[in-house]
Amino acid sequence: MIFTEAKRYYVERRVVDRMLSTRSDSFEHYFARLRADVQGEIEQFVNAFTINETYFYREEHQLVCLTSDLLAARLKVKPRGEPIRIWSVPCSTGEEPYSIAMWLLENWPHVDQYDIEIVGSDIDTDAVALARVGVYGKRALMRLPPRLVERYFVADDGASWRILDDLRQSVRFTAVNIVDRADTRSHGRFDVIFCRNVLIYFDDLARRTAAENLFENLLPGAFICLGHTESMSRVSPLFDVARFADAIVYQRPMR
Amino acid sequence: MPLIRKPPPAAAPEIAAPALDAPAVVEALARGNDDERWAAARAAADFPAAVPALGDALAHEKSPTVRQALFSALAHIATPQSVETILPFLRSDDALIRTEASDALLAMREVAWPFVPQLLKDPNASVRIQACVLARDMPSQVAASLCCDLLDSEPDPNVCAAAVEALAEIGESSALPALMRCADRFHATPFLEFSIRIAIDRVRSQVLSPRA
Amino acid sequence: MADDIPKRVLVIDDATLVRLYYRSALERAGFEVAEALNGVEALEHLLAARFDLLVVDVNMPKMDGLSFLQALRAKGLPLSSTPALVTSTESAPQRIAAASAAGANFYVVKPLHAEALVQYASLFCGARHG
Repeated sequence: MIFTEAKRYYVERRVVDRMLSTRSDSFEHYFARLRADVQGEIEQFVNAFTINETYFYREEHQLVCLTSDLLAARLKVKPRGEPIRIWSVPCSTGEEPYSIAMWLLENWPHVDQYDIEIVGSDIDTDAVALARVGVYGKRALMRLPPRLVERYFVADDGASWRILDDLRQSVRFTAVNIVDRADTRSHGRFDVIFCRNVLIYFDDLARRTAAENLFENLLPGAFICLGHTESMSRVSPLFDVARFADAIVYQRPMR
Repeated sequence: MPLIRKPPPAAAPEIAAPALDAPAVVEALARGNDDERWAAARAAADFPAAVPALGDALAHEKSPTVRQALFSALAHIATPQSVETILPFLRSDDALIRTEASDALLAMREVAWPFVPQLLKDPNASVRIQACVLARDMPSQVAASLCCDLLDSEPDPNVCAAAVEALAEIGESSALPALMRCADRFHATPFLEFSIRIAIDRVRSQVLSPRA
Repeated sequence: MADDIPKRVLVIDDATLVRLYYRSALERAGFEVAEALNGVEALEHLLAARFDLLVVDVNMPKMDGLSFLQALRAKGLPLSSTPALVTSTESAPQRIAAASAAGANFYVVKPLHAEALVQYASLFCGARHG
């Protein structure tokens, strides 16, 4: 990453955020903590600079895992006729849940044989509103091969693309605070939850609460995926660790 | 017509959670099935008066999942009474319960801190070790002072090691003399010698950073 | 020497200075070392790579060493037979019995000497559990 003088504010904000999160009362204290990598501070620091990037087909290996392993595992134990429910939370401006929908259409041979409900939720209601609109710039589409952009988007004006209506309607968007159990309970139980890059921002107690909430939102044996630099080892012991060819994911025990 | 075949719009498939008042929580904690005890434990987070019932439930609860929710409720309530309810579990013969209790105290932070000085003097070495872990998050000068006092009188090398680890993280230069005295005392314990050397390095590197 | 692939040791302990001490001793003796700070992280490592020996502390956050061992021994072979040296601050017989019941091969009371650790690792890598 290269930072020019113009990005000074961007950098300062994130350093201040890390100082606040680590309760460092001076930059020297924070810097020493960073150099000694106390409690994984290097990773936290890097995350602070890279995590807010959201785009289509981010962390593709988890999408591969979804269609290669997770759905098959779920179908083995689900009663016939029950819809497959997938939750993307936080969904930010919608890239992730739309990616899931696109990925299923492109890569899952059984996509037409099952009812699938994809829900995208975020605490930021502005982001949710934007997600419902489904208009994106070039940067968000950078990982998509041109044929997918052509297939699922309509060019708005050369600088932005709008998701096809039929795909937009394949995802339901809601606002949610994952630390509020009444809020999360209202969303029901899912087969797969993608909860990436949000738990790292919570303190211990909020992390516990969020983990317990998301546990409730999983059917027995269902899966939850975190960001690729995240681990349940710093969050909660409620989940089993499950390894597949393309990803390590976490699982609510069957019983 | 959505590309993904969606289920028909039905009533939102909410997770049923009956509203529980305090008496219902206490009842379910004592007599409910696994799911009922879980739900009651979570609901108990809103009832500080449920602390004794949470303690009773923890004394018998066999399910680690339910225990997680019980400890979370105590951490959420975050009163001195909830800390006192958790403390006995630091002495459990069951390693998992000791871990769960420790995690709950760590999640309570400030509310647990006033207990750290007495825990640092506990007759049980494991409890003293846990106290050092709790001390790490305390304001740095207080934490350093407590750990240094311990270092000067602690007979157990493992407890000293925990205090050294805390001091290495806290990074207060005031800890240097106590660290060096401890290194002298335990010169025959290679691991402790090693740890103290590292801790001294880390503390010194904080001191040498130019102040703005 | 027929087998000159370095032996891989997973050090599982929440104390950074303990892990550092073990790592430096083991690496100097030619072992490859990975680290985990609790039982959950240890399971993640073990599901991704093979190890010849686990050095696992008992008291760790989120998932203690004995719960970790029970989870490990419940997995399929060959993973479940990975030898495990349990380290603990406790020496009471019932604590040792609990570790054995959970699936420990060996039990050592902390603090460990670097030389002793290397000797144990040389002896125990290649032992099997069960």
